[in-house]
Amino acid sequence: MSNISKWVIVLLLATVPLWVTNQYQLHILIMMGIFTIGAMSLNLLLGYTGQLSLGHVAFFGIGAYTTSLVSLGFDLKLTEDYTFVFAPKPAWFGVICAIVVAGLCGWFVGKLSFRVRGAYFVIVTISFAEVIRLVALNWVDLTEGPMALNNIPSLAFTIPWADSAALSRRIANYYLVLAVAVISSIIIQRLVQSRIGRTMVALRENEALAKSVGVDVTRSLVLAAVVSAAIAGAAGALYAHYVRIVDPDVFLFIYTVTMVIMVIAGGKGTLAGPLVGGVIFGILPELMRGHMLPEVQWIAYGAIMILIVFFLPEGIVPAVQRWWAGFQRSRQSKMNPHSRANKASPREAAQ
Amino acid sequence: MSRLTKMALMASVLACSVAGAAADTIKIGINQPLTGSVAASGNFITDGAKLAAEAINEKGGVLGKQLELVIEDNKSNPSEAAAAAEKLISRDEVSAMMGAWGSSFTLAVMPKLQEYGIPMVVETASSSKVTSAGNPWVFRIAPTSEMEAKAFGQLVPEFAMKKVDFLVVNNDWGLGAAGEFGKMLKEQGVEVGMTETMDPAAQDVSAQLAKIKASDADTLFVTTGYEQLSLVFKQLKALDVNRRVITTGGSQFPDRLAEQLGSAADNSYHILFFAPWFPDAAANPEVAHGYIDQWNQKGYDKSGLSDGFRGYDAITAIAAAVEAAGSADPEAIRDALWKVDVKGVNGNIKFQKVGVEGSESGQSSPNVYVVEIKDGKLALP
Amino acid sequence: MDQLLQHLLNALILGSTYALLGIGLTFIFGIMRVVNFAHGEFYTFGAYMVYLFSVTLGVNFLLAIVIAIVLGILLGAVVEWLLLSKHRGADIDTTMLIMIGAWIIMQNAEQLLWSGVAKSIPMPFPEDPLTVGSVSVAWARLFVFVMATLLIIGAQMLIQRTRLGKAMRATFQDTATASLMGININMIYLATFALGSGLAAAAGALLGPIFIVIPTMGNLAVIKAFAIVILGGLGNMKGAALGGFVLALVEEFGAGYVSSGYRDAMGFLLIILVLMVKPTGLFARTERIG
Repeated sequence: MSNISKWVIVLLLATVPLWVTNQYQLHILIMMGIFTIGAMSLNLLLGYTGQLSLGHVAFFGIGAYTTSLVSLGFDLKLTEDYTFVFAPKPAWFGVICAIVVAGLCGWFVGKLSFRVRGAYFVIVTISFAEVIRLVALNWVDLTEGPMALNNIPSLAFTIPWADSAALSRRIANYYLVLAVAVISSIIIQRLVQSRIGRTMVALRENEALAKSVGVDVTRSLVLAAVVSAAIAGAAGALYAHYVRIVDPDVFLFIYTVTMVIMVIAGGKGTLAGPLVGGVIFGILPELMRGHMLPEVQWIAYGAIMILIVFFLPEGIVPAVQRWWAGFQRSRQSKMNPHSRANKASPREAAQ
Repeated sequence: MSRLTKMALMASVLACSVAGAAADTIKIGINQPLTGSVAASGNFITDGAKLAAEAINEKGGVLGKQLELVIEDNKSNPSEAAAAAEKLISRDEVSAMMGAWGSSFTLAVMPKLQEYGIPMVVETASSSKVTSAGNPWVFRIAPTSEMEAKAFGQLVPEFAMKKVDFLVVNNDWGLGAAGEFGKMLKEQGVEVGMTETMDPAAQDVSAQLAKIKASDADTLFVTTGYEQLSLVFKQLKALDVNRRVITTGGSQFPDRLAEQLGSAADNSYHILFFAPWFPDAAANPEVAHGYIDQWNQKGYDKSGLSDGFRGYDAITAIAAAVEAAGSADPEAIRDALWKVDVKGVNGNIKFQKVGVEGSESGQSSPNVYVVEIKDGKLALP
Repeated sequence: MDQLLQHLLNALILGSTYALLGIGLTFIFGIMRVVNFAHGEFYTFGAYMVYLFSVTLGVNFLLAIVIAIVLGILLGAVVEWLLLSKHRGADIDTTMLIMIGAWIIMQNAEQLLWSGVAKSIPMPFPEDPLTVGSVSVAWARLFVFVMATLLIIGAQMLIQRTRLGKAMRATFQDTATASLMGININMIYLATFALGSGLAAAAGALLGPIFIVIPTMGNLAVIKAFAIVILGGLGNMKGAALGGFVLALVEEFGAGYVSSGYRDAMGFLLIILVLMVKPTGLFARTERIG
């Protein structure tokens, strides 16, 4: 996709609050955007480095908790007579902290878990998320445990044309989510197209070979993990300030699975894949609502996931690209039968 | 509730909403745990709410309109409760809500009430935080842990307790109950030992019980939902911990405990807010009988009676407020809730102003009952 | 001291079911290289089958357990044939994603069929526990322990002493050679997955009546099964059995002496530690089963 068409899409998305004024529809779009950012960050690990990280929701949750704690303030009784008091800070500062803390956690987990591969890596990442969930659940003094952190301040600014405070808050959140999504995709794109990005792909394709030509495997993997975790942390921070409540269930495995489904269905290792997956799986539940019970919806998700692995193992975006490339070629070859030589493979086109 | 009745329910709600579009109904949101760790109680409360709505609709509804209940599952989780409230308010545009079972769930919903200006009748939550937060959209018909402890306090001398331990669920509800009952017992000169907590979804509590077994207390207070409570009783028996057990909270289903656990539940006392086995002991026996008859006519599970009444009373109160308000406008309903004075299954529902001055929350004064399981049967102590 | 003994006993009983769960998972991984995320759902399935037969249909409790295990084996075979048989030799991520899909489908099907309200299953055992000195154990738990131990021994015998077991071990060591020797690899995979699923269903059938039965009960079970398998080393059966007991011990003592809230966290911390120090598992020789 050319740069111009990308910006056209961003501009179109920016006009959405002008013609979508139904609060609930905006709500759906915001939630969809937040999870799409999460999926984009997961894609960096899953798609580009080929590491199936199934603890990704940990970074999302860490971001959410960090910004909530920073903006709500907390006090911790460290010893009998010393209590550490953290005064509430502005919400935007919380978001920055969330990104930094999530990034640091990404570095830490990366350092630890990239020592193992395959099934072991998957299990370490899941275990990490689960440990964090249990800490959030049980460190009641800090996190309020199952009672949840409530009344998290809103990140919103005032939208002049909105006719109610609630609508203004939603529109503001919509633009925030859009902005973070655009910035994240620029960062991911830059990273992937850089030398380090090419190293990552080399790694995914053949780790032994990459090593033998002198690629510092762990270093590129850890870098990917840090960037990925920081973006997930930003998504989590947006989530916390939007829904204004965070409880330990934000770390549940099912949310990782939701992001994985978005990435896999859209097309892992492509920039557009998680976006397409995010839009489909963010809106699908609302379209299905009223027509089927929530359980049936989930069953449909599971089935879609299996069907995609069976029939579209690369995901929707590469499949469409291939179809489009084929279509273009056949048209070109009709006009000019000698141009076959410069066909691009779908994967290159996707990157 | 069986899956079939649930489907029938959904079909009827769907039918209601289709009919409702034409007949212009008054929408009331129900925010209850229909799945997850406290689902049994949440389903019964929803059933009770439906019975009340049905009874009112049969008599011609309110202000000439039918009541329509819009039901959302909060999955026994605070964030889901907030999300459910968001849906009920911004998508379904309900005029008032009932919810959200637990204190943690209710506290999670409360900012939404303030943000959108929707009143909510709180049917179960017992934490003092609910009514002390300065949220003027909250009207509670359930007793606080403090009220529960105080009411039970009158019976303490009869039990001749020397030392007690607590085993509570690790949230506002459980910790609040442990705090308030502990305070009350200390005032009465009873020694308070350890307070053990359990995760709301935990199934194996034998480690906590092994610790409690080693204590020299004579009484154990337990606060949690029915699901976990039945496990606690089973595991108490398995570890041969023989002491008096007193449960609090009002969602214990003592008849089911007695039936399913046999002797494991013997020598236990249960603090309840309605004792359907003794309807004549209720404050309004005629309302209690009416509710019980209606419940039995539907063929609902009898053990749900002691929980279902909360939904029944909450809808009764909301309907009375809508009637008094003369419109389905949320703010008018809120103002009218202060004037409500109706006979409920538990007792008379009338809200007093409590909490932060200037933005008070409503709190009624419900009755508290204690039921004993003795030789596998229920008795009033 | 009394408390210590009680904790030990609790851990021993819990450990036997953990071992059952872990063996099934490690078995499937060792032979098929499939990380079975749906493992916890077979566990849940076992529990619901006991509920269906013993409570809803009124079948004898012991018979209901046997039926649940048999149905677990059958369901495992169906899932393998339907979802995995077309993906022989696919990379580990592919099959993992398929099994995540299966996990979601199975869990929601259970919720649809039996609602989200917990069910309890009465057990036909004396209510009064067996008390020796200051230590007590419920007859029901004793029954679970005995059954689980028998099943573990049975599975071990099957691997070591039967033709099928021999073929499985051969497949584990070298799939290509085994295939050349005339072993029907497809049948071996089918049998492996069915057997592993049957063991998970057995664990659910035994633990369900002790606890309560709820559609989400498999979520923690599958993660714990992973912990057990990692402790023992992926694909190591004896390791998984030991891992089950180790996890139960760590949990029980963690809950008893550190903090009951962190009970479930102990296992995961243990995994992370083990993987950092000895990634092949605590009890791993080189990878092999049996």
